[in-house]
Amino acid sequence: MNLDFTQFVPNIPYILQGILVTLKFVSVSAIVGFVLGTILALFKIGRVKILSWIADAYTSVFRGTPLILQLLLFYHATPQLTGYDISAFEAGVLSFGLNSAAYISEIIRAGIRAVDTGQNEAAAALGIPYRPMMKDIILPQAMKNILPALMNEFITLTKESAIVSVIGVFDIMRRSQIVAAEKFKYFEPLLIAGVIYYLLVMILTLAGKMVERRMSRSD
Amino acid sequence: MIKIENLQKNFGQNEVLSGITTEINKGEVVAIVGPSGSGKSTLLRCMNQLEELTSGTIWIDDQQLNDSKTNVMELRQKIGMVFQHFHLFPHKTVLENLIYAPMKVKGEGKEEAESKAHQLLDQVGLSMKADEYPKRLSGGQKQRVAIARALAMEPEYMLFDEPTSALDPEMVKEVLDVMKLLGTTGMTMVIVTHEMAFAREAADRVLFLDEGKLVEENSPSEFFNEPKTERAKAFLDKVL
Ligand SMILES: Nc1ncnc2c1ncn2[C@@H]1O[C@H](COP(=O)(O)OP(=O)(O)O)[C@@H](O)[C@H]1O
Ligand SMILES: [Mg+2]
Repeated sequence: MNLDFTQFVPNIPYILQGILVTLKFVSVSAIVGFVLGTILALFKIGRVKILSWIADAYTSVFRGTPLILQLLLFYHATPQLTGYDISAFEAGVLSFGLNSAAYISEIIRAGIRAVDTGQNEAAAALGIPYRPMMKDIILPQAMKNILPALMNEFITLTKESAIVSVIGVFDIMRRSQIVAAEKFKYFEPLLIAGVIYYLLVMILTLAGKMVERRMSRSD
Repeated sequence: MIKIENLQKNFGQNEVLSGITTEINKGEVVAIVGPSGSGKSTLLRCMNQLEELTSGTIWIDDQQLNDSKTNVMELRQKIGMVFQHFHLFPHKTVLENLIYAPMKVKGEGKEEAESKAHQLLDQVGLSMKADEYPKRLSGGQKQRVAIARALAMEPEYMLFDEPTSALDPEMVKEVLDVMKLLGTTGMTMVIVTHEMAFAREAADRVLFLDEGKLVEENSPSEFFNEPKTERAKAFLDKVL
């Protein structure tokens, strides 16, 4: 064994800068995923058959194919089909956002389904229309079921985001690979990347626990 | 007036109500009794279209409930409903439970809605619970809040679906007392209940349902003392 971390010390700031890239990538993807996922979930539980069919088909396709395939498709097919020269970051956000929207829509759907149907009936009996019922009565209760699962989805997103390194986003993963290639030594930089990812995930996990605790205190 | 004509309700192949015809007049208190599974809840839920009729008609005053031109949401404002399991909004305080629909649906101002809510809470004996969450209330208190919530919409009719069946015995009376009081104010009430003593005392009329049919319609004193039908006799022998 000839492990030598000292020779990588000068490279650590370079790798650490990847944290910002990764965080930016993950948060933009998460927002895209959450907004689109919410819309899809509303389609799924709504009464318009064609919309719920579309949302189900969407979910099925995005969950039924590899994420890396979706990523490469968006990256390479967009210029080919539309002529738009999509950046690696944009392609990454697009594929991760659309992909996680499929998962998030299922999370939200399940969370809404878990709310007692008596709540719908009570609202209906009071003459409360669908939209305010959803917004003020059902969704606030569904959030209790949704938030923990959503937190898990964001953790998954953070870890999986390493895949975007293959199309050249300069995230934690790619930076550590570049350093590795420069020095022809792979173990140490990858280990450094691993530690960073692990810490990020732990922080997210803790934040999730805190949110959960706060929510359970309110009821 | 609630006017029901030849009402039929199927769940899939299962005919749950058939040939129900009756009228509930303004100011009347009507008790619906009958064996479990006889269709009492379904009949009640048809009256505010929580269930859609399979055939027949229901009029609320001069409006046909099951007509595509009727605005059901608007009509429901006239018809309050109280459920067996309360269905209070758990994430809202008692006061918020009471003011939400009047503000959202009827466009009442906050002050007006709150002062009315406090009055109603007073009426059901819970003014000190305005800022509690439903979780912290007993079953009887929850049901009284649910009654107040329905009344906050100033309905002309009140439907009750076994309002005391989910309560511990010692809490039944406090809820029935509130309902009795409401009956004396002239509220039109339709009450599905297993509380025979209450039906006898508080109702103007008893509807007896069996296997989806309206088998007997009678005054409480006649229904409980000398029922006209064999099926009512058999039912009363079991429950009294
Ligand atoms: N949503 C439903 N779907 C299918 N069957 C139902 C539904 N609601 C009630 N039923 C059936 O209708 C019949 C009458 O039910 P219900 O009106 O609840 O009776 P009750 O209130 O008198 O006990 C029962 O056989 C019940 O199983
Ligand atoms: Mg019932």
